[in-house]
Amino acid sequence: MSFDGAAPRTPAAGTASVDATANTVAVSHDLLSTWMGFADVQRRTLGVVQSELMRTSQHVEDATLDLSTRFRILAEKALEQSQRVADIIAIAGSVRIDDERVPMDQLVVGMQDMISDMVSNIVTLSRHAMSMVYLLDDVQKDVVELEKSIGDIDGINRQTNFLALNATIEASRAGEAGRTFAVVAQEVRHLSSSTAALAERMRSKVTAVVKGVRHGHEILREIANTDMSPQMLAKERVDKTMVSLVEQTNHFQSVLETAATVSAEMSSTIGRVITGMQFQDLTKQRIEAINDSLAVLCVGLSDLETQIRDQVPPDVGAREPQEWLNTLLSRFTLSEMRGRFVRKLLLEGTALDENGVLDVDASHSDSAGGDIELF
Amino acid sequence: MDYGIEQRDRDDTIRLRGRLTFNDHAKLRALIGEMKQAKGQRQTLDLSSLEFVDSAGIGMLLIAREEMTAVNKTLVLRGAVGQVKRVLTVAQIGKLIPIED
Repeated sequence: MSFDGAAPRTPAAGTASVDATANTVAVSHDLLSTWMGFADVQRRTLGVVQSELMRTSQHVEDATLDLSTRFRILAEKALEQSQRVADIIAIAGSVRIDDERVPMDQLVVGMQDMISDMVSNIVTLSRHAMSMVYLLDDVQKDVVELEKSIGDIDGINRQTNFLALNATIEASRAGEAGRTFAVVAQEVRHLSSSTAALAERMRSKVTAVVKGVRHGHEILREIANTDMSPQMLAKERVDKTMVSLVEQTNHFQSVLETAATVSAEMSSTIGRVITGMQFQDLTKQRIEAINDSLAVLCVGLSDLETQIRDQVPPDVGAREPQEWLNTLLSRFTLSEMRGRFVRKLLLEGTALDENGVLDVDASHSDSAGGDIELF
Repeated sequence: MDYGIEQRDRDDTIRLRGRLTFNDHAKLRALIGEMKQAKGQRQTLDLSSLEFVDSAGIGMLLIAREEMTAVNKTLVLRGAVGQVKRVLTVAQIGKLIPIED
């Protein structure tokens, strides 16, 4: 056969000779057969490479879209989280009392004032109770004096009565001359008995007063004797509790503020990650450009192959480049990708179409059969 | 509760010992009487040996202060420790009666 080339080539030893006059190069059947085998495999390889590139690009696109969606959800959740934390922070430092929010420090001061007032009231009550105890102590002494005075009246009265009796006796002895005196003596006796009745009434009333005062004194002693110092000391505990409560609240607030900051940072980092995902778009464009050039190569190769076939005698067939195919297929460690190459390159090739052994070899050489392969 | 009095020119110190409770009210009244009669213008109650005071005791200390003021004398509380110091602090007695350590 002859080959129309732009420039003469150096013939390979023993395979071709140059005929300078006819501007042709003699090529052996063997070499031509080998070249056609190569051309066929190359064309099909380019086809497989193109579809693999598209498949890879699609795979990256799907995965990127999926990741972007998940990251977007994550960003929304982070935002919700920071909003929730912000809500907690807003109310953490205060408590609701009668539909009004009271800041914790204000509440603590209010509680402490309340307890202080209570203690102050206890102190005032204790002082008044003791003043009353002392007053009633004195009243009791006075009442005893009063009882004694009534006793004294009785004594005086008895003496008066006795004197009046004596005067009556003496008056009767004096006869007519003592008649007037007897009347006076009788009056004195009446006066004495009235005094005795008055003294008796006073004694009865004083006894009632004494009884009342003693009873009141007893009650007051019981009141004053009720020790309120433990209740006063409860203020210490309340104060400590309040301080602890404020400290704890402040601590919670600072932790929550940190959490809010972290959530916001997470949200913005995720936003940047989503932006970073746009690399996929650029990658897709590049792969498409590569595929376009591969398509041009493919068409060129196909044209050339057709031209050559037209000029080659029919008895010169294409020879399958067995060694080259083996080298090519050994590069693929991903079983499904290898499977696709084998189908396209070997099973579509008429010479090896019936040979199932190669397919079996292909599956044997792969150790893993799952989705994830070892590289 | 029992007590001991140490007299100086213008400063009398009364050391209270044990527990000051309602049961001591008669004894404390007698002490207040003595303090009113004493020469010293400044009457100091030394509380360093007092172990306990109840609310009635606090009331009595305030009465003592009023009685001293009535006769132009000054009452001072000194050296309270333990429960006594805590109760005096919580009741803010320092606002009414000078307290010394």
